[in-house]
Amino acid sequence: MLTILKWGVVASFLNCITFLIIMVLKTSSFGKMPVYAKPQGKGKEGIFYAFGKGMMPWEKDSARRHILTYIGGMLYHGGIFAAFFYLFSLVISFEISKPLKFLFSLLIGLGFFSGVSLLVKRILLVSLRKISCADDFAANLVVDVFLALALLNTFYPGLKTYFYAISIILFLYVPVGKIRHCVFFFYTRILFGLFYGRRGVLPKKMKFNT
Amino acid sequence: MNKEKRPSKDSFEDRIENIRPEDIKKVLQVFRYKLNNQSAAYLNSCVHCGLCADSCHYYLATGEIPSIPAYKLGLIEKIFKKNFTFLGRKAPGWVKAKDLTKDMLREWIDSLFGRCTLCGRCSLNCSVGLNIAYLIRAARGALASVGLVPPGLQSTIDTAIEKGNNMGLPKEDWIETVEWLEEELRAEVNDPQAEIPLDRKGSRLLYTVNPREPMFFPLSIVAVAKIFYAARESWTLSSENYDVTNYGFYSGDDDVSALISERLVKSMEKLGTQTLVLAECGHGFNSNRWEAPEWLTRKYGFEVKSILQIVTEYIQKGRLKLDPSKNPEPVTLHDPCNLVRFGGIVEEQRYILKQAVARFIEMNPNREKNFCCGGGGGQLAMTRFAKRRLEAGKIKADQIKETKAKIVASPCHNCIDQLLELSKHFDLRVKIKTVAEIVADALII
Repeated sequence: MLTILKWGVVASFLNCITFLIIMVLKTSSFGKMPVYAKPQGKGKEGIFYAFGKGMMPWEKDSARRHILTYIGGMLYHGGIFAAFFYLFSLVISFEISKPLKFLFSLLIGLGFFSGVSLLVKRILLVSLRKISCADDFAANLVVDVFLALALLNTFYPGLKTYFYAISIILFLYVPVGKIRHCVFFFYTRILFGLFYGRRGVLPKKMKFNT
Repeated sequence: MNKEKRPSKDSFEDRIENIRPEDIKKVLQVFRYKLNNQSAAYLNSCVHCGLCADSCHYYLATGEIPSIPAYKLGLIEKIFKKNFTFLGRKAPGWVKAKDLTKDMLREWIDSLFGRCTLCGRCSLNCSVGLNIAYLIRAARGALASVGLVPPGLQSTIDTAIEKGNNMGLPKEDWIETVEWLEEELRAEVNDPQAEIPLDRKGSRLLYTVNPREPMFFPLSIVAVAKIFYAARESWTLSSENYDVTNYGFYSGDDDVSALISERLVKSMEKLGTQTLVLAECGHGFNSNRWEAPEWLTRKYGFEVKSILQIVTEYIQKGRLKLDPSKNPEPVTLHDPCNLVRFGGIVEEQRYILKQAVARFIEMNPNREKNFCCGGGGGQLAMTRFAKRRLEAGKIKADQIKETKAKIVASPCHNCIDQLLELSKHFDLRVKIKTVAEIVADALII
């Protein structure tokens, strides 16, 4: 049973990657936007900004004003990446050391706590509820269960069957729902950097001695 | 341009009410045509985190949920998902995908025209970095294709197309105004040889104006002429195509936008000037500097600069001498979104003001993080949303109050009009000036 599930994880992961690639390629079918205006800055610098300083809370009012949500979001995603690495180690039967396992438990645990907090926030806050759809709740819930089972599995390896099962569900859901932003986030952030970088808006440069 | 007959102001409600299924189909077709790989990526990326809410002056001022940028974007997403995504087609309720109906068109008009100034502040605050203003402009363009642009904005565009400028100023009146302003300039600089050239071929610069200037603020043209005079610049105005504005930018109609912007290109080519200098106009700068080459699908063979860049060069090269004590009152600066956040003209105005005034105070937040005044996005032309526009201006009014400045410098005529209204509405007791007017007051000639 466990072997079947393990191969199920691999198959659903490959399916997920394939569909995500297809989706990204599909956006190209909408046509590319040529650029004619003479640049005033460098797109490359904008991209570095977008993935570096531009992600920092002091660069955004929204993050500064909602610092707990910002931190929660960061921990949530950190936990998800840790859970994926942990899953990967299980699938390839790689024995991880105790300290590393503890680190995984910690990151996944923090991620789980943050994920549940964000879900509760989405349920309780009217403004957030109004801009949400069922997919938003479902995506959060699936990931939270995935994190919970990953966390439990670090303590009770006997729960591997359940962890694999939720992983399969998660990988199948990724391309159809909002979790597809795991790829589109990078795509959009590059576009963001290119746009503001070309126009010389970001990163900020003190051109004069003002 | 295959346009529907434009509705008059009174018939706009009827126009919405009597929208035909083929019109809805056309909106969808145009919307699809306006999408490209970038917009498709944006429409797949919103995570509905809601962190954009506090970046929008409409939401901050009113607390109304439909003003949250993600909500406005959501209206576009619903249609995108229903028509272009698997889950949206198969399980629309799961992702709130919806068909484009008459009610949805009403919501689009109310939210995309009436609750957004296309200021782009939400993009900087978006956790993903979505260019929401860009998507809203695309959706506005789809509405424009069936004549669903609110009447005030559409009539401004129609006037610009028919008369050559958005105020409908006849050519003779423009020429007469320039002649009169030339006399003003001569008196001001005490030089009978001082001039405001019209259609002078081979000049280095072609200067454009906002048609509101000759109509309501003629002295701002004299201020710029005085600067050019002091710098001994080779410049000219055009007697025909001089309008820096482009309201097609606000309606999202790229064909109209291209038509209007092309006029300035024709003037440049006809007069053989080297640099197109754009007056203090936020959307005029963004349109002509950044968007017009894309609308016209061509690279320009000339430079396009803001008058602020030109004045900065003059000061740096010592071509202008300024005495800041001539402007003793504290001055603050409003950053127009299209000039700063979208245009990349950020430090020039600060450099100039620090040379030209005795005391300069920054607003908080400022530069690319600055709040919109509420006058952008064509709001000043759309009277049906005027109450909301003034309400949303509270954030800017509070920013100004905090500085305790007596003068607000604003390098944009749309912003100036809105700031004048805000000053009255919120009893700010400040004077609103262009940067050039402040520089002209400080000139040592």
